[in-house]
Amino acid sequence: MVTVDTAERSSESAPRPRRRGIQETRGYRVFRVVNGIVLTLVVVVTLYPFVNIVARSLSDEAYIIAGKVNLVPRGFTLETYQLLMSDPLFWTNYRNTVFYTVTATVISIVMTTCYAYVLSKKQLKGRGALVGIAVFTMFFTGGLIPNYVLVTSLCLKNSVWAIALPNAINVFNLLVMKAFFESLPTELEEAAAVDGLNTYGILLRIVLPLSKAIVATMVLFYAVAFWNSWFAAFLYMDRQELWPVTVYLRNLIAGATGAENVGAITEANEVQAEATLKAVTIVLTTLPILLVYPFVQRYFVRGIMLGAVKG
Amino acid sequence: MFRRSWRHAAATAAVLLALGSVTACGDDSSDSEDLSENRAGAMENYAVGTQFKATEPLSFSVLYNNHPNYPLKEDWLFWTELQSRTNVSLEKVAVPLSDYNQKRSLLIGAGDAPLLIPKTYPPDVHAYVSSGAILPVSDYLDLMPNFKDKIEKWNLKAEMDTLRQQDGKFYLLPGLHEKPWHEYSLAVRTDILEELNLQVPKTWDEVYTMLKAMKAAYPDVYPFSDRFSQPNPAGNLLNMLAVSYGLQGAGWNFQHVTWNDQAQQFEYTGATEQYKQMLQYLNKLVSEKLLDPESFTQTDDLARQKLANSKSFVISSNAQTLVNDYRPDLAATNPKAKITKIPLPIGPAGEINPASRLENGMMISSKARDSKNFVAMMQFVDWLWYSDEGQEFAKWGVEGTTFVKDATGKKTLAPDVDMIGLNPGAPKHLQKDFGFGNGVFAYGGKPELVQAFFSPEEQEFQQVMNARAPKSPPPPYPLNDEEREQVSLWETPLKDHVYQATLQFVLGQRDFAEWDAYVAELKSKNMDAYLELVNEAHKRYQEKN
Repeated sequence: MVTVDTAERSSESAPRPRRRGIQETRGYRVFRVVNGIVLTLVVVVTLYPFVNIVARSLSDEAYIIAGKVNLVPRGFTLETYQLLMSDPLFWTNYRNTVFYTVTATVISIVMTTCYAYVLSKKQLKGRGALVGIAVFTMFFTGGLIPNYVLVTSLCLKNSVWAIALPNAINVFNLLVMKAFFESLPTELEEAAAVDGLNTYGILLRIVLPLSKAIVATMVLFYAVAFWNSWFAAFLYMDRQELWPVTVYLRNLIAGATGAENVGAITEANEVQAEATLKAVTIVLTTLPILLVYPFVQRYFVRGIMLGAVKG
Repeated sequence: MFRRSWRHAAATAAVLLALGSVTACGDDSSDSEDLSENRAGAMENYAVGTQFKATEPLSFSVLYNNHPNYPLKEDWLFWTELQSRTNVSLEKVAVPLSDYNQKRSLLIGAGDAPLLIPKTYPPDVHAYVSSGAILPVSDYLDLMPNFKDKIEKWNLKAEMDTLRQQDGKFYLLPGLHEKPWHEYSLAVRTDILEELNLQVPKTWDEVYTMLKAMKAAYPDVYPFSDRFSQPNPAGNLLNMLAVSYGLQGAGWNFQHVTWNDQAQQFEYTGATEQYKQMLQYLNKLVSEKLLDPESFTQTDDLARQKLANSKSFVISSNAQTLVNDYRPDLAATNPKAKITKIPLPIGPAGEINPASRLENGMMISSKARDSKNFVAMMQFVDWLWYSDEGQEFAKWGVEGTTFVKDATGKKTLAPDVDMIGLNPGAPKHLQKDFGFGNGVFAYGGKPELVQAFFSPEEQEFQQVMNARAPKSPPPPYPLNDEEREQVSLWETPLKDHVYQATLQFVLGQRDFAEWDAYVAELKSKNMDAYLELVNEAHKRYQEKN
């Protein structure tokens, strides 16, 4: 255990078993204190808006308009949640979101891994050109209408492929993954080759098992991106039962705040919906993906570290 | 390797470009008036009063603006009844209301637009005209007897002329109103009026006297504190005043030019004598502390709070804000308070109703012209959107199912059908369960139809407003593409400067003695060139027509 002396001096930080005899330098202790304060502030700053949103989603319209909702819900009501969840279309579209996210993420992971692994091989001829093609798309795109014409003429419209295929490879993710594969020792693969594995065997049995961290990170990146995306679905889906929940909620907000109903008096439950709708929307769309986070996080940290520190 | 992939990329790019140019050009439909090839399914003697029914089952594609309050359902009575009455079914391309305009542009640009493109506002049409993707509907009005009949009967020719493009044709079938429908005015605390023994003000001068009396009785409040100030300062107040002073519009409806009937030319709205007078009026309200200076910047919520806490008695309003905002707010803080929307105060321009009689409407893809069912389609559009029967059907539904008529012919909703809370607790909803009263199909028409579902109070307001003369629309000045681009470059700096000076003059930061200097500043921002271009375009139009 710690000495009384150390415990007093480092009372700000959490008491942790420390090896006797090694004294922390003054500068390090100051750093720890400052670090603790700064990080606490960061936590407060990032957490506050979220808690506020949750409180708003559970509050009565009048209190929100009056600006009285802060961290605790006022005039507690679940009306907006009930209104949303009683709509079968909401659940259809939620199911679509899950389906699109899973399918598109699987496709993206396979495509990105294949491309990145190939690019990581220094002996590959034309490697620069292949990287160049990918990087080119980071800076130049075909534009909205040509993309639309392409997807339509490939008959991808109104199917999950319109969402999954055009966005299958994110170049930034590709480059991160390539860097990771490059950092794996070539000796490992050479040994595997000597033992009789072919290229695919090396990838599947040696490289991928060692790359769980980066794959998990990529899964997280892609899944969050597909979960939140609405634009591709908006462009290519002509039937509402094909929309993801993001499009559904976006439309709902527009309807509640729009001027479509001018002259008429909207129903009371729709007025309630208008005030809390945005908050409820944010809660409902972020919650599931937030719940995934803790499970992927340990890989996430390692993945970033492995990509960066190796040298 | 590199070279080959480069060539590959180039080939792909070329294919894409080719695709783009093909769709951009569109196909040159024949300009001939010969429609004999296009009459399949059409009625021989379709006229006003005829029930349209296609002679063979037809189907047309339509862009469908999907409203979240009544999301599209395939089993709506609207579709089945429409099919049995007209023999037409519609293929819907559902687009979320939130991004309708963007998808419409994309589909038209990609050459993939449905035949019928409803819910388009008149200024949006300009962007599509030069692409050739939209049909000049004015060439085919002979196929639309009901539409022509309404234009004539309701005397809408001048309004229709404002839609004409540079080629003298119009590309939009707008929603037609017999009477203008103006919504915005001032809401006034009538219990304060009674307390002070005041009449409901009829003119802007009486509004001033009323505010002054309120100030005398309650010296520590600003009697008038306005909302609708974001993003544009006092959006509604400035517009109401501008139209009352005979201008085309200001505030959130800022119109750069106003037609001067005496001089027979366009003037720059922000530089007119009337604009100066209305700013002087506002300046008087502010300097006598009758109008809250924060009116020009505060958020709607803040203005609402002031009204709710009796820190102000007058505020801008429409039918909805009155019932959904002010009354519930006041009920919570002051149960004795009463508030009403007063008829739009009258200004120097006299008793006019400033609202336009045209509404958003429908564009038709030019590829429809090549269809063998083109004539039938135009007849169908004419019947559903412009005949009395079609309009009644789209709005009210089917007699006996969704509505009932009494002996005098007055329509009421069936007891088990609800619409905006008219039959609270009824198991079915006119829009959600039947698909009637749908914004895509039901708009415009006679006042009784437009106001069918208004509250009695709002109907009374409309009655007063309808008794006033509709404002005559300005003469057309269609611009060509280059002119439009030039004009849009001039517009932003001009508008910003007008807004800025408006605030300075009203809040007393700038003296009215400097008015000429202000006009000179506008001139340095190309005001004269702007006017010249518009007047030139107007003359050009006149010579042609």
